Amino acid sequence: MSFESDLLVWLPHLRRYARALTRDPAWADDLVQDTLERALSKWRWGRGGNLRAWLLTLLRHRFIDQLRSRREVAFDDEEAPWQQQPAATGEVDGLLLRDVERALYRLPLEQREVLLLIALEELSYQEAAKVLKVPVGTVMSRLSRARERMRILLTEPAADATPGRPPLKVVKHSP
Amino acid sequence: MNEPRDTTANTPDSADELRPLSALVDGELSDAERSALLERLGHDPAAAARVAHYRSQNTALRRLFPLAGETASLFVQRRTPWWQLGAAIAGGLALGLMLAITLPAQLLPGGFGQPAFAQRADLAYAVYAPERRHPVEVTVREEAHLLSWLSARLKRAVTAPSLGEYGYALVGGRLLPGESGPAAQFMYQNSTGKRLTLYISPYSSREISLRLLHNGASRTAYWANHGMGYALSGTDNEPRLRAIAADACTALGGDAGAWSG
Repeated sequence: MSFESDLLVWLPHLRRYARALTRDPAWADDLVQDTLERALSKWRWGRGGNLRAWLLTLLRHRFIDQLRSRREVAFDDEEAPWQQQPAATGEVDGLLLRDVERALYRLPLEQREVLLLIALEELSYQEAAKVLKVPVGTVMSRLSRARERMRILLTEPAADATPGRPPLKVVKHSP
Repeated sequence: MNEPRDTTANTPDSADELRPLSALVDGELSDAERSALLERLGHDPAAAARVAHYRSQNTALRRLFPLAGETASLFVQRRTPWWQLGAAIAGGLALGLMLAITLPAQLLPGGFGQPAFAQRADLAYAVYAPERRHPVEVTVREEAHLLSWLSARLKRAVTAPSLGEYGYALVGGRLLPGESGPAAQFMYQNSTGKRLTLYISPYSSREISLRLLHNGASRTAYWANHGMGYALSGTDNEPRLRAIAADACTALGGDAGAWSG
């Protein structure tokens, strides 16, 4: 099998991860396209290792670069693309998908990305650590915080109430 | 990045106690750790409820973000193809593979004697015409840019003929890998949402009078002249498609009058 066909195997996964990360299909498609272009130009015959983890790493780098250029992205910003998307419908085990979605985008980015890599993309802790370039212990603690934060947001309505001030902005520090 | 410290302060459980619950959900515990934890959960309803909640979160996230099969709208080129013949070859490979996994098998082998550009046009119609989100790369709002970009890539002036007479308005266009280099696809749409594409690709093998290729619900009318191959694909009936093709041919500088029916 060629490198291209291996890439294609992971394409739907890359796309899903990018969509979940950005909550913006157009941005996600840009990210995936960029990632594939990079992958095609950087890949060399004989390059071993985990292709999927490498692709996710490339995608994440692009995402972070672009996030910097779209500085001050606040996830409860009404102008943000995901606010323009129709809310999800349906429920799972009594959790309304709409609420799960909202809780997800209230997580700090570093928690959201680790949660998506592991819960959605089903990477091992080891693989996620590789993608995120952090120790496995950090993956575990971020993941644990992410899930607990999600649980609180989804089970304790007060945690989600935002009277007057939005408590959970993801604010990138300006350079 | 700000950490929401306030929430962890509200929870009685320390992070050290919560981490194994996640590891259990993710299958990251050794057998011994797993049995010990399951044993503990039997006496700890709060922890058991957490594990159940974490699992539900996983299910909900996977439901929220299903794996989509719609990969065909991506088109990628190698940027540094020094050891390849050209960027389009790699792009063509990638697209070809996408087509291979996206399209019904009967579309792929093609008939005898049909030039590859006509088959590619037919495939490209099958891939992009149903595309709702990204039918084109550049929309008609940037028509001047679209035409200059495609002309630059095809290395000759490319225009999108007006098909308003048939109720079709230009939506936009995209660059595609053709047989021997870049090809262009213009997308048109009528008021009922029906789509028609015009595929343009270099083709210097010979001149071809209008011919038809018929695959399932769509038809492709193709011709070639002056070193270019053209293919119109749509779901119009044959006489109408021929009529549109004749007009398009004339508008593109060809001599449709020379076609002998």
